[in-house]
Amino acid sequence: MILVIAEQQGGTLNRASLEVVAAAQQAGGSVKVAVLGAEVAAVAQALSAAEVAEVLQVQSPVLDTYTLDGFVAALAQIVEAEQPDVVFLPHTYQTRDCAPALAVRLNRALVTDCVGTKSQDGRLLFVRPMFQGRLYADVAPTGPALATFQIGAVRADSMKTGTAPAPIRVVMAGMAAGDIRQKPEAPFREAKQAVDLTQAERIVSVGRGIKGEEKIALAQQLAEAMGAELGASRPICDAGWLPMDRQIGSSGQTVAPKVYVALGISGAIQHMVGMKGSRTIVAINKDPEAPIFEIADYGVVGDLFEIVPEMIKELQG
Amino acid sequence: MHPAETWIFRILVLGFVAAFAAQLLTRARLFLRARNNIIIGDDETGARLWRVVREVVFQSRVIAERPAVGIAHTAVFWGFTAFGFYTAVEFLAGLGIVDWTPAGWFSVYAYALVPFALAVVAGMTALMIRRVFVRPAGLGDTLSIESVVIGFFIITLMATFLLAFALDSGLAERINWWVHALVILCFLVLIPGSKHFHLVISPVTVYLRSRDLGSVPNLDFDKEEVGLETLRDVERKQVLDAFTCVECGRCQVNCPANATGKLLNPKTLILQNEQALLSGKLDIKLSDLYDPNVLWQCTTCGACENQCPVGVEHLPLIIGARRGLVSNGEAPAALSAVYNHLERRGNIWGLGYDQRQKFVQSAGLEIFDQTKHEYLVWLGCAGAFEADFQKSLRSLFQILRLRGISFGVLAKERCTGDVAKRTGNEYQFQELARANIEDLTAAGVKKILTSCPHCLRTIGVDYRAFGFEVEVVHSSVLVASITRDVSVPVAETVTFHDPCYLGRYAGHVDEPRELLTRFGAAVSEPERHGDNPFCCGAGGGLLFEEKEEGKRISQQRLEQLQVTGAGTLVTACPFCSIMLKSAQASSNDGTQIVDLMTFVEGKLKQMPSRP
Repeated sequence: MILVIAEQQGGTLNRASLEVVAAAQQAGGSVKVAVLGAEVAAVAQALSAAEVAEVLQVQSPVLDTYTLDGFVAALAQIVEAEQPDVVFLPHTYQTRDCAPALAVRLNRALVTDCVGTKSQDGRLLFVRPMFQGRLYADVAPTGPALATFQIGAVRADSMKTGTAPAPIRVVMAGMAAGDIRQKPEAPFREAKQAVDLTQAERIVSVGRGIKGEEKIALAQQLAEAMGAELGASRPICDAGWLPMDRQIGSSGQTVAPKVYVALGISGAIQHMVGMKGSRTIVAINKDPEAPIFEIADYGVVGDLFEIVPEMIKELQG
Repeated sequence: MHPAETWIFRILVLGFVAAFAAQLLTRARLFLRARNNIIIGDDETGARLWRVVREVVFQSRVIAERPAVGIAHTAVFWGFTAFGFYTAVEFLAGLGIVDWTPAGWFSVYAYALVPFALAVVAGMTALMIRRVFVRPAGLGDTLSIESVVIGFFIITLMATFLLAFALDSGLAERINWWVHALVILCFLVLIPGSKHFHLVISPVTVYLRSRDLGSVPNLDFDKEEVGLETLRDVERKQVLDAFTCVECGRCQVNCPANATGKLLNPKTLILQNEQALLSGKLDIKLSDLYDPNVLWQCTTCGACENQCPVGVEHLPLIIGARRGLVSNGEAPAALSAVYNHLERRGNIWGLGYDQRQKFVQSAGLEIFDQTKHEYLVWLGCAGAFEADFQKSLRSLFQILRLRGISFGVLAKERCTGDVAKRTGNEYQFQELARANIEDLTAAGVKKILTSCPHCLRTIGVDYRAFGFEVEVVHSSVLVASITRDVSVPVAETVTFHDPCYLGRYAGHVDEPRELLTRFGAAVSEPERHGDNPFCCGAGGGLLFEEKEEGKRISQQRLEQLQVTGAGTLVTACPFCSIMLKSAQASSNDGTQIVDLMTFVEGKLKQMPSRP
């Protein structure tokens, strides 16, 4: 049995939790999901839509805000009670904080930052990148383990939903406030960007080749047809054609979507460093010498105003 | 003089001198408790004294920036200096110590002072009109009443001096004498607390200014130095800087951040130090003392420091305070990414070195061998990865080959550490520097050629602190020296953007222009050029800045360059090129932006090869 630890904050489920449920479903076997907090009935309700054996709604007033002691104690209780073969967690900051302590407490192996699983001779192997993503290692832990999954590695929309809601079991975690040594302060929040391109799976990005502000709409249409976010290189944001929070590059957001479509972007280095990690790069540019073609997986030398409408037609057709 | 008068004068002098001394003592204590960062090389004394002669005695910096104001100030300065002895003699007489006033030589001296007195009055009047009526931006928004009072004091001193010639001994003469003496005494007590303290300490601060612009000595990690966190950490020279500042605003009006609507004002930083030091707020965090975020708005272009007539050094303060922030994990997020890139990949972009290798191969470069090659060409982060700059390097290689200069490159380079140094990540800088120095030394490198002014500065000046002293030369300088035989008739008008780290820091102002002229260009100079260029906005790690407050510096600079009307804009720094091209891309401008090496090679190619 695989136990997935879902993460929530203030009653909002972290989307990465669904990715991990999907990863657990793909690994095979029975899956249970646990979610921790002071009052998480609504989150448990939402999770019960997934095709899982059971949702554990783990509650305690001391779990209201995240503390290392509180979560490690509660998670250890659940894992000891349920005895899963392996525990899956999203590789979030919270997990990074508590998973090592939890692994030591339970005397289990911990495999971090996995991008998927494999089955070999009936054993579950964990695939994780090494040497900055140049190689992938298949890790076979000895004995029951914990594994964390890289955000975005498994698609949340590949999660299977059940025909009927999964049963929800309320578990009261047995802890006293005195067990917790940490005193959390109000969560530190970075200057909130309206658009978080780093989480986007697909991005359509525009550069100077788009020529005019009124032409941005064309890129917007392509983005909508692809289910993608709209990004831009610096000149577009400097000119005020798109807001600053859509800027990608060394002085903007660094993104790594599965598909990156560069429209009329020459590929100056300060833009490239912000998107070179994209899985697949599609570049459309008039200039065959444009540096973007050096890193593009698919390059089209041509007029984006001819090509993009055809792409939209194809996607909508 | 009536004996009672003498006694009154003695008491007054005692009181005023005591008030002066008390103020001096407060400042001396603040100076003495600060960490001593004053290091002067044994061989530097002569050069520094010569600097004092040039800049204090002859007022070279005061005049250079603002000739008219500078000459008015020089008149006042020289007049005052000439009056020093006169005042001393009058005071000795007034105190009843010794009376030389009846001596024949004294009246000759007094008559000789008349032209000086007239010069002071003329200079002072001009300066007062400027301060009160013209109100230039550098002097601040509010009129300094104190400066006006002191201006009147000075004019009164001269007027009473001149009046003394017309008055016979009598009541009028005594009143005139007393007015003169009292004004001097009042001036004396006003000096330490005002910008006029520069009269006392500016020769010292000019003498103590570092040899190289923008010198920020390495931190010693064995002594657990982490940079400047609170005002308590501010060092001795910086304490003197706070008191010597004459509030002229040259730093402010030359600051590219200030000129583009950002909060940073180099003058304000220094004055905030002064105020906080005097009010004893030693435990205030520097980042709290200054306006929000100003420490991260500095491009380290060096214009402030380079223009300061009294030897104030802004960069050690700004970078020192950045060090304090970085060591507490308070660097801006954009820089954390850069530090990560430097840590993991050894370059600012975070790219893999296989790309550099590809360039080395495709450009047909040899790995440096001291038995075969004269120069080691340092590619730098831009040369290793940036397509445009690689084009200009290919041009440089072509020029070197045409002129028979042998050169090679290192098999592996790391960033010189420029961004780390300038943004205050001292630990990372030292790690990078040591590793590079080890490689360069092992390869037996004697001469280094680079096309990047930032690498030029870092290897050429900052690496000296590690005992690494080799000849480091910028491509513009070497190419200028190997193409002296060329002379192409003028074919086009270009404008040249001096990179701060080439023109201002390294002083290479003539070589790029010689090259341009030699290769058929008429140079149309923009506002702010030569050794006082306006920054492109990339320096000091700001290439990676996420959102620039106010107008983009690069945009402002591009506009200044466009005003020249030249169709071609030449520069000689990869970062200037990135910034200006970026600004151009946002503005639908058709100017061609090329690197100096590309420009030269383009012309050289068209010429018949040398026999």
